[in-house]
Parts: sequence; C-alpha cells; structure tokens
Amino acid sequence: MTMRLFGLLAAASVGLSGTAFADTVKLGYQLPLTGETAQYGQDFRKAADIALAEFNKSGKPFTVEILFEDSRSDAKEGTTIARKFVDNKEIVGVLGDFTSGVSMAAAQVYKDAGMPQLSQTASHPDYTKISKYQFRNIATQAQEGPYNAKWMLSKGYKNIAIIAEQTDWGQSVGAGFTDTVKAGGGTIVFSEFFNRGLKDYRSLISKIERAKPDAIYTGFFYEDGAQFLKQVQQLGIKTPVYSTSAAYSPKLLELAGDAAEGVHLTSNFLPTDPSADVQHFVTEWKAKSDGAVPGQFPAQAYDAVRIMLAAVEKAYPNPTREKVRDALAETKDFPGVTGKTTFGPDREAQKELVKVEVKGGAFVPVAD
Amino acid sequence: MNGSELVPLRGGWSRPVPLLAALALFAVLPAVLAGFDRGYLYQIANLSLIFVLLSASMHLVTGVAGLLHLGHAAFYGVGAYTAALLSSKLGLGFTATLPLSGLTAALVAFLVALPTMRLVSIYFAVATLAIGQMLYLVMLNWVELTKGPNGIIVTKGLELFGFSLSGRLPTYYTVAVVVALCVVAIGRLSHSYYGNTLRSIREDDQCADAMGVRTVRLKMEAFTLSAFFAGVAGSLWAHMTGYISPGDFKFSESILILAMVVVGGLGSLPGAVIGALLLILLPEGLRGLGDFRNIMVGLVMFLSILLLPKGLFGEVSALDFARRQWGAAWRRTRGGEGIGWR
Repeated sequence: MTMRLFGLLAAASVGLSGTAFADTVKLGYQLPLTGETAQYGQDFRKAADIALAEFNKSGKPFTVEILFEDSRSDAKEGTTIARKFVDNKEIVGVLGDFTSGVSMAAAQVYKDAGMPQLSQTASHPDYTKISKYQFRNIATQAQEGPYNAKWMLSKGYKNIAIIAEQTDWGQSVGAGFTDTVKAGGGTIVFSEFFNRGLKDYRSLISKIERAKPDAIYTGFFYEDGAQFLKQVQQLGIKTPVYSTSAAYSPKLLELAGDAAEGVHLTSNFLPTDPSADVQHFVTEWKAKSDGAVPGQFPAQAYDAVRIMLAAVEKAYPNPTREKVRDALAETKDFPGVTGKTTFGPDREAQKELVKVEVKGGAFVPVAD
Repeated sequence: MNGSELVPLRGGWSRPVPLLAALALFAVLPAVLAGFDRGYLYQIANLSLIFVLLSASMHLVTGVAGLLHLGHAAFYGVGAYTAALLSSKLGLGFTATLPLSGLTAALVAFLVALPTMRLVSIYFAVATLAIGQMLYLVMLNWVELTKGPNGIIVTKGLELFGFSLSGRLPTYYTVAVVVALCVVAIGRLSHSYYGNTLRSIREDDQCADAMGVRTVRLKMEAFTLSAFFAGVAGSLWAHMTGYISPGDFKFSESILILAMVVVGGLGSLPGAVIGALLLILLPEGLRGLGDFRNIMVGLVMFLSILLLPKGLFGEVSALDFARRQWGAAWRRTRGGEGIGWR
C-alpha cells in the first residue's frame, strides 16, 4: 500500500520537471477539459492556442509556452493544479479557472504564492478582492446589471420580473440589476432563482406571468436559456425577454431556434464586427471548428490570453511573477476583440458593452 | 497444558504492519514530502488522507452495516460548512471547529435517520439519495446563512490551541494525525463484536432481530457515527483549502466515495483505504494522458470490479489481516486456531 503510494507520487512528480530554455516563458492555464463543463474549457484551449500561435510567430525575442491542466470544474482538482503551477518556478502567470468556485479555491493558493491569476470568466463579486494577484477579463454584473436596467427603463418597462440561475453569478445578476431599477422608479414584481440544468420551466413561467411584468430579465447561460425560451414560446407568452452577455452565444440561436427571436441582450463581442482584429479571430476560429462562429466566452478567453502575453512581454527580460502582476495591473486600453480593456485599481476589467437583439435568427446590434 | 489453552499474542515483530504503517505515515512519507518540498505533493497527500477518512467512514455504514448510502458527501459538507461558519462568524479556530463539525454532522444524521431507519435495501438507498440532495440544496439555497453558491472564504488555517499549524509539514501532520486517529477508531468499531453485530444486520436483519439484536438502533448508530467522521473530514477540508462552496459536496462526490469503498472491497477497512488512495492518486498520476485520463480511471474501475468483484482487498482477507496484524489481545489456541476479537 505504501509502495503504491510512493510509486504514484513519484509518477505524479515526473510531470513537474520540464526542460528549461532561456528564451521560453511558461504560463499555466487551468480549465475544465473534461466533465460537465468541458465544452467551455475546450473552447478556451482553442482560443488560447490561436492567441499563442500568433504571439510565437510574431518574431518576439522569446517564445511562450502554455501548460494546460484539466480541473473538471472541481475545487479539489483546481487547488491541486494551483499547487503544481506554483511549484513550477518557470511559470510566471496563470490563466483560469472557468467557474468562480474553482477559481476562488485556487486563488487561495495563488494568493500565498504571489502568482498572478487572470480568469476569463470568474464573475464572483469577491474574486478580485482575494488578493492583489487576482484579475478577470469579464464585465461583472456590477457593470452589466445597471446598464441593462437603464436600457429596460428607457423602453418604458416599469414592472420587471427577474429570474437567474442559483449560482454565485446568478446572485450577482439579481443584485446589480435590482438597485438601478428601483432607483429609476421601476418595480421588481417577481424574483426567483432556479437550479442550473432545470428541464421544466413551465411552473416558473406561470409564476412570472401571474406577477404581470412588462418585461423579464434573465440570468442564464445558453443551455438553460434555450430551454427557457422554447417553453416561453410554447406557452404563447409575448412578454419581452432581456438577458446578459452570458447568453450571448451562437449556440443559443441554434438550440432555441425561432423561440430566441426578439430576445434583447448585451455583449462586448460581435463576430460581425468588421474590424481586422475581430475578423482575424473569427476566421481562425472557424478554421478550427468546422465553420462555427465563436461566442462571447471564447472571445474573452482569447483576449485574456493576449492580455497575459502582453504583460509577459512588458515584464521581459527576466519576467518574474511579481513583474507580470505589475504589468497586468498597468493594462490600459488593451485593444481586444471584446473591446478595449483597462484594469481598474480593483483589478476589474472595464468593458464597453453593445446592445443586441435577435432578429431573423441572428444577433443584430441595436442603438437602443 | 492441553492443546486448547488460550494464549495472548503479544505485539512486536509478529505483527509488523501497524508499526510499519505508522512509520510510513509519520516518518517516511513526511521525509519524502519534505525532501521534494513541493506544495503539489503535500496537497495530494493531504487530499488523499481526507478521502481515506471519508471512504473509511462510509465503509462503516455501507460496508459493515450494509446500508447503501448515496448521500455521504452531504454530511462531509455539513462538517465543512459548520467549520467555515463557526470560524468566519464566531471566530472559532480549528481546535474548536474540528469536534463541533463532527458533532453537527452526527446530529443532522441522527435527525434524518429517525424517520428513515426502518426502510430497507433500495428504499433506504433512495432515502439517503434524497437526504443528500436536500442537504446540498440547503447549502445552495439558504443564502442568508451559507451565502449559497457564493461559498465561504475560511481565513483561519489549521491551529491547535492557538499554535498555528499552517506550514506545509505541520498541515500534513495535523491531517495525518486526525485521519489516523479516526481510522483507528473506525477500525476498532468494525473489527469487534460490535462490528460483527453490524455485519449480522447486513447479512440478515430479520434473523438478527430474532436473535435479539436491536437492528434499528444499531443501524442508526452506524449511520450517525459515519456522519461524525465525515464531518471531521469536512472540517479538515474547509481549513485546508480556505474556500468552500456547495459544488464540493454534490452527488457526484457521494458516488466517488461509494466507488472507493466498492473498488477497495465492501466491508473491508484496508480496502476502503486502498480504494480512496487509488481513486485520488490514479487521476493525478494519469494527468499526462490529457483528456483521456478519466476514461482510463473508468477503465481501471471497471476492470477491477470485473476481475476482483470482492474488491482489491476483499472482506474475508481483510478480516483475517486485521485479526492477525491489528488485534492486541487476540487469542490463539496452541493448535493454531484463533478466536475472539480485539
């Protein structure tokens, strides 16, 4: 039994000793490559590969290598990976994880080790408060909620119903939005959280309708969103539905079909944006994914990796974890496919948001 | 002197396993860990030990008493949340939260066991499934108390009566001592006349009842005791990682612990320990395989059940092993026949 333990420990430690090249800088990326949320992790790896290949081809005096580790969106695996990355003295910065829970568990390790951590999606309000080493490349609901609230109020909707998934993120969807609605003279007539992966929304929808709202504000990802919208259509309900950038994915249109028609949501990434940067990313992505169009999250991951690479470049030569952290903190107006990104003193990404409506089976930017 | 006289067998080299196990756990392994000095290895060692405790605690209720338990992770969660809430709201340290976590988990288990203990076989399993889900949903949805999906940051690390034990080696030793004590306690419970009584309930509860065994009471005790140890494991996890959220205690964790017990060998304590080590260390060791590692883990589990349906260390050989190597007052006749329990 003991021998078995040693054998496996030794086997596990083999992965730690990499070969060192003076001109290679290493980064870690922890993400769910298997498990229930693997579809997101696989997308992030694809986006990171695109960003990394471009960087290494651009004739910099050094190359960067990213070590990917599968966390399965499991906190125990996430902290183990964090220890592994911290042990590897060559790694100067870490990207990930996908969910806030795993990102925050891993952040406890990175905090003590002084390792800069940049998550493309962790949206928990307290994530960046853990230490000065935590950054994120996602517009938080503290920013998006008030923006959407003003948008809906400007349309004349006074009685609003909110539903959101029962996660840390769903909680922040409700919190950020409600205050602005109330301050603007509106009323929240109904508010409820549902558990992720719910199949039957009909009782929830009837409860919403009983409250007679002018519009429904929703916090869900595309899988739950598609289910919800289909069932809203089946019940013949015409109340306008608004949502957040988390639902902004081509898969929403694919899964919900014409039930998604007329949904309003915000985004900071438009694959139809004619700018060269965006079109380059979309082309590269399509080449790697059988012509599929990238959604919001891969775009955030693509930018997160490029922001990290820019910080490494700034810290070069002899980049250290501390230098990379400082370089990340100085990120200002980084031109990405999700708009310009600046890290505030709270290490939150300030993002520009775009209003979008689903029209004719596509996301179309709208002025109001 | 006749052949049937009972002679107590003394310790020492006739029973080297307890000594070797203690040496490995408290001397060799920490020396190796300190030699490599990698946080990663410490993390894996600590995580393995916590799951050894979870697996051993489930062994008591599922392996020995034969109650298929599908909600064990929820009691692990109750322990972790008790520790996290007591330390973040009342400022209590690990010394206080460790026993309180165990007791709270045991209390919750006792209360939910009251109405379910007369259920048998698959009906009991479904009831524990429901209990696990209910407790998980309480952690997820009682936002005022548990902060719901936001989870709780536990700022206090491991300590003993105010002395900080938060370094790498002290953390390992704390986890190792707590887990070792608990596993020894579980060993004493399952390798004894008490354990035999639980086994009699597993084999035929009506027959045991007819023989005068208080089956309902004993099942309840096994269930409550097992929750106590799971709660202790939860407290270790909460203080060790510094952040917990409901996702750490969902149904899939219960299944993971169940798989550990079954792969190791139902009813076998050494098996439960080996099963836990296997299912924590194997996925880590196979990281090099990338996306295929979970398939490999599944394959190993499948083959081990197919080829060794009684487990890696089956109950019969485990009992024999425990009798020969662990019993301090196990008696043996001069003819070589053994009797009794220690």
